[in-house]
Amino acid sequence: MSILFKSLRFVAEGEVKEASDFLYDGKSVKKTTEEQLPDRFTTVDCTGFLGSRGWVDLRCLASEPGMEFRETIASLCEGLRVSGFTEAVLMPNTVPVVQSKNEVAYIQQKSQAMFPTLHVQAAVTKDTAGEDFTEMIDLSHYGVKIFGDGIHPLANSDRFMKALQYLQKFGGILFDHSYDPLLALFGQMHEGIVSTKLGMKGIPGLAEEMAIQKNLSILKYTGGTLHLQAISTAKSVDLIRKAKEEGLSVTADVSLYQLLFTDKDLVSFDTALKVLPPFREEVDRVALMEGLKDGTIDALVSNHIPLDFDAKHSEFDLAAFGMIGLQTFAPGLAMLEKELGWPLLIQKITDGPRGVLGRRSEEWDSLTIFDPEETWYFDQNNNVSLSANSPWFNRQLKGRVKFVINKGKFSQHL
Amino acid sequence: MQAFSVRHLLGIKDINPKDIETIFETADNFKDVLNRPIKKVPSLRDITIANIFFENSTRTRLSFELAEKRLSADTINFSSSNSSVKKGETLVDTVNNILAMKVDMVVMRHSSPGAPHFLSRHINANIINAGDGTHEHPTQALLDAYSIREKLGEVAGKKVAIIGDILHSRVALSNIFCLQKLGAEVMVCGPITLLPKHISSLGVKVELDVKKALQWCDVANVLRIQLERQQIKYFPSLREYSLYYGINKQLLDQLGKSIVIMHPGPINRGVELNSDVADSEHSIILHQVENGVAIRMAVLYLLAGTK
Repeated sequence: MSILFKSLRFVAEGEVKEASDFLYDGKSVKKTTEEQLPDRFTTVDCTGFLGSRGWVDLRCLASEPGMEFRETIASLCEGLRVSGFTEAVLMPNTVPVVQSKNEVAYIQQKSQAMFPTLHVQAAVTKDTAGEDFTEMIDLSHYGVKIFGDGIHPLANSDRFMKALQYLQKFGGILFDHSYDPLLALFGQMHEGIVSTKLGMKGIPGLAEEMAIQKNLSILKYTGGTLHLQAISTAKSVDLIRKAKEEGLSVTADVSLYQLLFTDKDLVSFDTALKVLPPFREEVDRVALMEGLKDGTIDALVSNHIPLDFDAKHSEFDLAAFGMIGLQTFAPGLAMLEKELGWPLLIQKITDGPRGVLGRRSEEWDSLTIFDPEETWYFDQNNNVSLSANSPWFNRQLKGRVKFVINKGKFSQHL
Repeated sequence: MQAFSVRHLLGIKDINPKDIETIFETADNFKDVLNRPIKKVPSLRDITIANIFFENSTRTRLSFELAEKRLSADTINFSSSNSSVKKGETLVDTVNNILAMKVDMVVMRHSSPGAPHFLSRHINANIINAGDGTHEHPTQALLDAYSIREKLGEVAGKKVAIIGDILHSRVALSNIFCLQKLGAEVMVCGPITLLPKHISSLGVKVELDVKKALQWCDVANVLRIQLERQQIKYFPSLREYSLYYGINKQLLDQLGKSIVIMHPGPINRGVELNSDVADSEHSIILHQVENGVAIRMAVLYLLAGTK
């Protein structure tokens, strides 16, 4: 099947290119002219749309096995597909935790026929408890290259050091959402003026900054490759910037929604906004955007954490941390377009995360096309997740993915 | 009836100085009623009020119940210590029960900050926060300010030191908001581990030395050490606390001036306050209790009028 995408503006190499015609021949996407067209093809008018290589999400959770009522691998893949993601890294926080060949094989088998390409991340410690290591070398023979404890930090300095060392044998990457759990103990939101006014136990920025500082020092000592996930403070950005200047092999990502809210949005005790790391202050939000601009932060992630109704429908301090973030991703990008511009935003979900995964191939086997202007209403009729824990649920949004191609598979959303 | 700017009393944060003055003026009238031989008025006849206490309470619960009875309201009481039931489920289930019972007003105490806000989004009744975790305790702050006004003539311009466990205290937070709205100067004093890191951003003075705090203030509002809310260690021992932050008669005698001593109760005698202070002429602790009924009558009456 050949498809002609007419008048499509491509976002690549740091710019939004002029509208051109592109041909998808069933395998790859190439710029085309009328003379090069095959005998038979379907034409799609893309006037006003933007296109890029397929989007990559480095942080999302499937909840299967164990909590299928929140999200299954199938529903997550459907969410990724309609949201424009052609690749995603799954967190290992399922029940049981992804930590042996069995769980890895289960996910690989389940996702084989699905639209997006899933990269399995295995836990670095058993049950993500931060103590005993999983069998990393053995797991690497089953295609696992990314290790990390997902929503839990690897807080034990000794384990952190040894994990970074051990993974070097096969070029594995340690993913870590770094924070000091003792400094964050019982914390419900960012510690600051707002938490003081709300009488809420805070999670100080210090909890994250100390852990990142410590982990970067360990990285300097051991070598290896470290990817810091979901960073949230201005000081964290500074620390990573300096580490990169020193030549350490470190990359970082930030949740898209971290750039769209601050702690001030929590004054009404809305549990939909209870996330980890917590929404911080405006100065942090601005610093995160600076970090994206100067290359300190490599990728934007959905940090998609599906939670059932009861986990969120409660008092604030009893509600679970997390927000779904796939279908709202394109609208989120549109909200940031004025501040960051399309070339930068797209780079952080295409080449940026591919670089983190060590894949800098120029092959165009994936494509995401979206309409930055289309308005739509996000509700139960179009939510493909099994969860609805989003502050944008039942709200009108702007920006929608229209076509996605991944390795010969074509998906169209009308 | 004078206008009230809110439908619920969720916190002092949400009301304005005019509301507070309205509450005080209404409480003045109810205080007169409470001193009459017949202490009951028919103001809230046919109004049903649910008192829902998910945390232990003696004086707040009794004070609300008495205020409601003095106003001729119909009351129902529910208490739960949450020992065997998951808290979140309890509140959601309670919300549904309240909806079914069609009560007009709800007085709620809960261990979670924001629990009454959660309730207010799901039921149509007027809600009065009787204490939500470490967040607010608005009627306590109102009765404290009312008692200062009664003792010293006015609140504006007075210096009030709040001494003790500020970190875990809903009374401290509501008092800060209330006293500032009425024009008082506020200082907090306690071991630094029991002071929220960003407390000075609320415009209060911070003092670590209790003697200096007492020297500075006209009124010392001494808070209970909230041992039940301290999930981790904040200071070495109660002995050390009482030695360096406890208030006794000897300390007050050294000041060379007379200050007013308040306490929201219940007192840990010999810890934050010695009996020779709690029961002295400096203390207005029992006036606070008495004023509590008048203030709560005023709040119930005014909110009932916002329907």
